Amino acid sequence: MRRLVLGVLAALGLALGQGDKLKACFIYVGPVGDAGWTYAHDVGRKKAEAALPWLETRYVESVPEAQVVPVIDRFVREGCRVIFATSFGYMDGVLEAAKKYPDVLFAHATGIKRAPNVATYMADFYQVYYLNGLAAGALTKTGKVGYVAAFPIPEVKRHINAFALGVRAVRPDAQVLVRWINAWYDPAKAREATEALLAQGADVFAFTEDTPTVIQTAARKGAYSFGHYTPMLKFAPDHVVSGQIVHWEVIYIDFLKKVKEGVYTPKNLQNVDYFWLLQHGAVEVGADYGVPINPKHVPLLKAAQMTVEGKKVPVYDRIMSLLEAMRRPNPTFDPFTGPIKDRKGVVRIPAGRKATLNELLTMEWAAPGVVGDWPGEPR
Amino acid sequence: MEEALLRAVLFGTPILLAGLGALLAERSGVVNLGVEGMMALAALTAFAAAQAYGPLPGVLAALGVGMLSGLFLGLFAVTLRANQFVAGLAVAALGLGASGLLGKRYEGLPLAHPLPEGGFALVGAVLALLVHLFLTRTRTGLFLRSAGENPKAVDLFGVSVDGVRYLALGLGGGLIGLAGAYLSLAYRPSWTDGMTAGLGWVAIALVILAAWHPLRALLGAYFFGLLFFLQFRLQGSVPIPSEAFAAMPYLLVILVLALSGRSRAPKALGQPFERGR
Amino acid sequence: MRVEVDPAPRPLKVVGAYALFVGLALVALGLLFRAYGVAPLEAYRVFLSVLGDPLGLAEVARRAIPLLLIGSGLALAFRVGFFNIGAEGQLLLGAVGATYAALFLPPGPWTLPLMFLLGGGLGGVWAGLAAWLRARFGASEILVTLMQNYLAYYLVVYLVAGPWKGRTAFGFLYTDPFPEAARLPVLPGTLVHWPTLLLGAVAALVLHVLLFRTPWGFEWRVLGENPLAAWYLGLDAGRLLLRVGLVSGALAGLAGVGEVAGIHHKLLEPAQVSLGYGFTAILVAWLARGGPGYVLLTAPLLGVVLAGGDALKLAFSMPFRVVDVTSGLLLLALIGAEAASRHRLVWRR
Repeated sequence: MRRLVLGVLAALGLALGQGDKLKACFIYVGPVGDAGWTYAHDVGRKKAEAALPWLETRYVESVPEAQVVPVIDRFVREGCRVIFATSFGYMDGVLEAAKKYPDVLFAHATGIKRAPNVATYMADFYQVYYLNGLAAGALTKTGKVGYVAAFPIPEVKRHINAFALGVRAVRPDAQVLVRWINAWYDPAKAREATEALLAQGADVFAFTEDTPTVIQTAARKGAYSFGHYTPMLKFAPDHVVSGQIVHWEVIYIDFLKKVKEGVYTPKNLQNVDYFWLLQHGAVEVGADYGVPINPKHVPLLKAAQMTVEGKKVPVYDRIMSLLEAMRRPNPTFDPFTGPIKDRKGVVRIPAGRKATLNELLTMEWAAPGVVGDWPGEPR
Repeated sequence: MEEALLRAVLFGTPILLAGLGALLAERSGVVNLGVEGMMALAALTAFAAAQAYGPLPGVLAALGVGMLSGLFLGLFAVTLRANQFVAGLAVAALGLGASGLLGKRYEGLPLAHPLPEGGFALVGAVLALLVHLFLTRTRTGLFLRSAGENPKAVDLFGVSVDGVRYLALGLGGGLIGLAGAYLSLAYRPSWTDGMTAGLGWVAIALVILAAWHPLRALLGAYFFGLLFFLQFRLQGSVPIPSEAFAAMPYLLVILVLALSGRSRAPKALGQPFERGR
Repeated sequence: MRVEVDPAPRPLKVVGAYALFVGLALVALGLLFRAYGVAPLEAYRVFLSVLGDPLGLAEVARRAIPLLLIGSGLALAFRVGFFNIGAEGQLLLGAVGATYAALFLPPGPWTLPLMFLLGGGLGGVWAGLAAWLRARFGASEILVTLMQNYLAYYLVVYLVAGPWKGRTAFGFLYTDPFPEAARLPVLPGTLVHWPTLLLGAVAALVLHVLLFRTPWGFEWRVLGENPLAAWYLGLDAGRLLLRVGLVSGALAGLAGVGEVAGIHHKLLEPAQVSLGYGFTAILVAWLARGGPGYVLLTAPLLGVVLAGGDALKLAFSMPFRVVDVTSGLLLLALIGAEAASRHRLVWRR
């Protein structure tokens, strides 16, 4: 009897102990995979769990858009109090489920619609792409930079544009050759698209695809490249110059802490939107954690010169000073500062101001120097 | 232009190898729809073995796993006389699934010593010739073909139809395994879940396109490789949407097929061999 | 020792074969779960839990809808010897047709019927093309329909990234949302668009009757079982093939209409439209063994496998591949058992 009572008490204690934990659940659009978008979110999830002892997490991968509501149903039933939905396509489903479960907090990545219990968040790379573009402009000998792109949506277009602006800032006659593969994950297409660009003379590469295929392919022909989403230095240590690395955990930890402290409630998320950049530490420039430029390529970038406000400066110094400027709490530089014309000569961002958040999120035009098919290009 | 031809061969090679594997089975009368899964499993095995013991053991391991998975399909498609189409689809799902689950810990690792693609391409071309000679010039090849055309005759000859079909599935599985090894050791030297990306289905299509002929399979695979490369080479240089270029290889296959006319499949293809019927 | 046909297997043997094979599959699956750090019994409980609660059943039903429609058409097509493996593409064409009717024709009470008509029509034409190519040029329909899947895929990408891109889609690959008149009603609290479910059940029954009780069906069966006999009877094989192509394609097209009108309410990236129903339906059709009506059993069965696999992946945070492994093993067990019960081992030569 005593043992029974003790057992029951222990079970109760365990239950209470678990009840103290905040349960956050993650819905991924793809498989966790090895390098891409979903993998990066999962790294963020794990880091958040390691950093917050009171946090318990769960995830489910490869959830198609149409299935998000049934998945949320199950998660809520299993006691999830915070649900992160990590794809734009979940938007309508999340908003619908949020009405159904008014006590659950939702956060929707890349989203643009909010509700009292739905926040939105994004860690964006466009500033990092600009810095990488500067390096690419300095490194290209042929004046042709290759970009293997997934789907023609504003996020990808924004990144290509920022990259192209960077390339052209160093080398005003350079071209950025874009090839669409119409897939987020397809190593074979990424490989052949890279081969096609190499055949056309491209000698530096950036890309949006969920594997390091472009890097591996470029390195075989001795071409430089920039990693995407996760540290990719190890796939071609002599040829990966820099790249974009995301830190979703910065957003996840901030959000979850504020939930735990009661700052965020299911009633006040209407205006909670994270669009976090270099200044928040949500993204990083580099080929690996803490390595903004591959040391092997620093001398090259120090030797290369570019003109800034009539003065010659080494490209390396320019990259470092702009990185500094964008990391400040009040950044003193932004790549999308007017005047900026598109490749057809239409002014897209007038002189004297930065692009607004809305302009960034709906960017459809192509920057000067971008060469190739551009679905949805405004007339 | 040389660039395009080189890509045609290098991207055509995995399709060719897997296609030859499927072709061998089909000539013996067994449809193998499991190619995609068998290839994925072999790609993972090759990568894992290559990481641990070096590239050559990697290739051998892929060969072995390919053969075993071919024989496994035979267990259902030959011995049990189950529906070959469903058995193949189930093996495809199983292979993709198992490689995805078991391969988690190898994801995101670069391969220490990749193999040159040229070697595989050469082996692929030679194998196409060898398969052709095997089928047309050897006694075993004759029995194999007869098992696909007229299994009863083979049986009357005192040769086991089941045995011949197992042989074809095993050898073919080995070829499919090579295709997997090419992907993870040479073409894209690393392992990722789903890295076969539908090439197995293209390989099955290739067999039909090549009218069950190994040397035509060689041409067909290179043709497809060329078209696949050209979609990116030409994209942007002509005012045609990128999607139209992407669709081009598949459209051309249909056209070729319509123009090349009737091609005859092995007569007993897809039919389990039942004695006394 | 050899294997020969057992013309009349005893019921006990059949039951035994199924028990043995499914048991083997469960053991293999259990070992895999254990290797993955999940208790096998708990995993089986979760897998079957979809049958025990309304939410799970709704998921099964939702998956069964397109499988019913496509599966019954394919069961017929396979019976006639038309190996249509392009249902995925025909489904996409159906979705395209539905989207056109929903977005570019004036909305009204006629919108939904028009969507089904146009979507079914486009799906039928798409498969009919393959049937025509086979009848006219002898082109293998397996290859043609497979290639057509890719064509349909890129057509949808082109439409959602180009001319049909929505003004309210913020540049993403969607059309604008459908107006209310173009949305199917659902069972409350679920995604089960019941009119399509009803349509699927009716289609399965009608095709079954058509195949086994009408002259059309008789001609089809003759062609499927013995093309030579069909020739002697003076049947026009080309026309029969075309007919079966149109029917099976139209049904896949209707499934596409159901998906966009019942669930998505817009056209979107092709990989999101269908979730591979066109391929899963091949299994549904084969398991139905040439009887479109039996799809009423096999479609929900595959629905359980898909929904149960989803429950597994969610409950244990397992990789999505667990669904493939589960369905692969269970399928092998089913066809293995089916084949084993039809045969017997003979110990002499």
